[in-house]
Amino acid sequence: MSVSERERNAESPAPEGGRPKRVRLVGAWWGPAVGLSGLGLISAIELGRTDASREVFFNVAQPWAVYVMLAALVGLLVYGFGRHATLWAIGQPTPGILREIPMRVRNAVRLGIGQEKVRRDPYAGIMHFCIFSSIIVLTLVTAQVAIEDDTPLSFLNGWYYLFFSFYGDLFGLIGLIGVGMALYRRYFDDFHRIRWDERIEDHAIIVGLGLILVTGFMVESFRIYTTELHGFVLEDGTQLEAHPDWARWSFVSYVIAEFLNIFSPTQGHMLTAHTWSWWGHVVLAFGWLGLLVFTRLDHMIFAPVNAFFLRTDAPGRLATIENIEEQEVFGVGQIQDFTWKQLFELDACVRCGRCTEVCPADVSGQPLSPMHLIQDLKAHLASVGPDLQNAGHTNGDVRSVSPIEMVGDVIKDETLWACRTCGACMQECPVMIEHVPTIVDMRRYLVMNEARVPAAAQGALENIEMRGHPWRGTMLTRESWMEGFDDVPIFDGSQEYLYWVGCSGSLVERNMPITQSVFRLLRESGASFGVLGQEETCNGDPARRLGNEYLYQILAMQLVETFKAKNVQKVITNCPHCFNTFRNEYPQFDGHFEVLHHTEFLQQALDDGSLQPRHSVGTSVTYHDSCYLGRMNGVYDAPRQIIEVLPGVDLTEMWRSQSRGLCCGAGGGNMWQEEIGERRVNHVRTEEAVGTGADEVISNCPFCIQMFEDGAPAIQPDEEGRIRPFDVAELLERSVFGTENGS
Amino acid sequence: MHLVVCAKQIPDPETPPAAFRIDEANNEVIPAQGIPPVLSQFDGMAAEAALRIVEAAGEGKITVISLGQESAQAAIKQVLAMGADEGILLEDEALQGGDSYTTARTLAAAIEHLGDVDAVFCGRQAADWDMGQVGLGIAELLGWPSAIIGKDAKVDDGSMVVERVTGDGFETVSMPMPAVVTISNEIGDPRYPKLQQIMQAARKTVTRLSADELGLDPSTVGDAGARLKLERLFIPVVEGEVELMEGETAEEQAQALAAALREAKIL
Repeated sequence: MSVSERERNAESPAPEGGRPKRVRLVGAWWGPAVGLSGLGLISAIELGRTDASREVFFNVAQPWAVYVMLAALVGLLVYGFGRHATLWAIGQPTPGILREIPMRVRNAVRLGIGQEKVRRDPYAGIMHFCIFSSIIVLTLVTAQVAIEDDTPLSFLNGWYYLFFSFYGDLFGLIGLIGVGMALYRRYFDDFHRIRWDERIEDHAIIVGLGLILVTGFMVESFRIYTTELHGFVLEDGTQLEAHPDWARWSFVSYVIAEFLNIFSPTQGHMLTAHTWSWWGHVVLAFGWLGLLVFTRLDHMIFAPVNAFFLRTDAPGRLATIENIEEQEVFGVGQIQDFTWKQLFELDACVRCGRCTEVCPADVSGQPLSPMHLIQDLKAHLASVGPDLQNAGHTNGDVRSVSPIEMVGDVIKDETLWACRTCGACMQECPVMIEHVPTIVDMRRYLVMNEARVPAAAQGALENIEMRGHPWRGTMLTRESWMEGFDDVPIFDGSQEYLYWVGCSGSLVERNMPITQSVFRLLRESGASFGVLGQEETCNGDPARRLGNEYLYQILAMQLVETFKAKNVQKVITNCPHCFNTFRNEYPQFDGHFEVLHHTEFLQQALDDGSLQPRHSVGTSVTYHDSCYLGRMNGVYDAPRQIIEVLPGVDLTEMWRSQSRGLCCGAGGGNMWQEEIGERRVNHVRTEEAVGTGADEVISNCPFCIQMFEDGAPAIQPDEEGRIRPFDVAELLERSVFGTENGS
Repeated sequence: MHLVVCAKQIPDPETPPAAFRIDEANNEVIPAQGIPPVLSQFDGMAAEAALRIVEAAGEGKITVISLGQESAQAAIKQVLAMGADEGILLEDEALQGGDSYTTARTLAAAIEHLGDVDAVFCGRQAADWDMGQVGLGIAELLGWPSAIIGKDAKVDDGSMVVERVTGDGFETVSMPMPAVVTISNEIGDPRYPKLQQIMQAARKTVTRLSADELGLDPSTVGDAGARLKLERLFIPVVEGEVELMEGETAEEQAQALAAALREAKIL
């Protein structure tokens, strides 16, 4: 379901069997108990040393209680994460998870600890950094106090003590700023993505953290007031020396303590207040850390770990089902069919809503919200996971455990089909969840195991199977675009490049001029190239994205053989989808070729002077990044560099561009599906292109061009002044040859 | 219950016009290069109807029969993948060519050869020649009742109940079994096979039967037995002419158009 649908449904009662039961930590008592049992030793030592630790535990009567709580917390964490781990363990092995360790460590540092993705939302980036740094530093502060108290080491004195006081206060203040920003966003900002799936724990986490910081400052300021500011009076009446010069280093608490002077409280009152706030601080801190087990606070641990687990190969590559003919189940139909890494990811989700906010399906009111998909799977895992474990232990029938179907009931078919595999969700996810492979795995189950496919997508799949291309009913042949050219070279292994036209480049009328433009430009550049003509066939990309991995593998293996037989070394593709498949996925079938998208080749040709943009074009354009050239392969610059060198072309970017670009709506096999929902994705994107005021929207993908051709009349019914979609090659051709509109 | 589905492999009806060529001298369609033949779409729908009946009954066997050449195995496998149980290919030099009559005669012989058949499902017509004769021919030769151009069929109390498409709506007919039913596109798209079934179908062996095994006299089947003679095969030339109506204003143009239409005796 999309977010808007969920909002509409919020008032109606939950559908029967809809929401799986929440995980209950039944038996959680033994976790803390185990921790507590190891406590005798520590507490015995502590009781004997309370006198010595007087300064650390100033005015605190039962300091050993802290260690009781610490032990309970450790026990709870061990129990809780152990429980999580047993649920992950019902998943399948994750191939290659321990390959490329250096890269994984880099990811954990850069994305996990460095929080590169969190900063993609600058407000959240600052807020999160404040809170994160504060928790780290204040934990170190507390640890130093513990070391000072529990070990023979003594270093909290002299200059270091003053510096320690300073940075403790500084990061306490930074933490409060972060909490303030979080509170503002949650309660006062007209901002809703973090409220799409709001739970009580969210309030507890942020309010709890705020209270810990506030009580921390209270404790410190009360102590400073009675000791460093006013000189502590011992029971025998002796007054210790006051040290306002020390107090100033704890600059926040110092200000509060000075402020307390207004009320002139007695030392007795202050000590009582200190005791209460100290206990409040300690209980809150341990309680809050206990939330690690029960709430999304666990991302403190899971996010960096998931960054370590993040794939190290291309994001545009889907995993191969090895030995597909020997599988009992195709794809993922039940929760235990996922890999354990995919199950681990579910726990990493923090419900921030960034994925859903950028999802083209959700943006258009269609039935997919990646965040809810992950959360629904997580709830399902918690609901059926323990029974699955039991069935597994007793050699029971694991597949019959769950009375509800994961694919179909928990995750609806239409949700899976609405995915464009555009990767925007994965690009944004601050905890590095990989939604697209998870969705495609479930599609594989729908298509191959259950044969539940939307009619239009089924037509495309059958057409690929029967005719080797997805364009059912085309009147064109793969050589139609060659009419009027008598010099199209057929690739015979002697040329440097194979120009791969692709099904869309040859069999869809709108795309023929693009193919012809690329051909004329290749010819002009003097490149040595040839085409395959009738021998071309679908490389399998749409089949793979639609979930028919079997069909994909057949096509891929055949084409790899053809390429090898023809001695293909370098390929220039028209289409970013062919580009991605050849470049990232054919190596899985031992097909290793140097693959260029035509925009990359043309950019190089401009660079080395083999193409000259002589003529002024005189137009204003905006540039649309296709997902499979941009996000999936990082080619953002080459097409822009072409546009920028053309004389008389004025480029304006859309508000969503480059890695934030919105899908045209055709990805993931949605070119051949009916859209369900409030709007069509291509209408939304066309609106954004129209919003730039440009005359033309330039792209690099035959699907994008078709989607804009369809969207433009819908958004601008008046033909006069309507935005016109063109490929980069068509635009470049006008400048190179001086022809009008690429004709 | 034993149902038979008749399946024909035909040149791809979606062959782009530019790739469609005929040999006028020999009255033959030249197979388009690189465009493999396909299962006639109505036959896939006939298979869908048969599968629905077996599913509703919870039991039953479906045998798919094709008259054709070696390549027709692909069409048989496709129906097997959808869920049919057995495949028979009627492949014999003597059986090649022919017309609707010899096809019906050959298929009827194969159905008799099977013996215990309760119903036969055919497409309403083969999507290449569009004759629509074979289903009725089989019924006539076997002496069975038939209902053609059905959009759905079910077995009710031992009778075959067929919802038929008529010129102005639908009608439901019931007939005793064994019977012949032909199915039209109104039934909807045939099912998409599960991968498990595709792989099972790939492993199945298709039985081959010859004219001899069917007890057919070679002179009565194939080209030898054909009663229909193809006189001439050609691609009609469609020509269009455009004449733009002269006139200063829209009214004048309309008057000129009316006059021209009257002159051409269209108005």
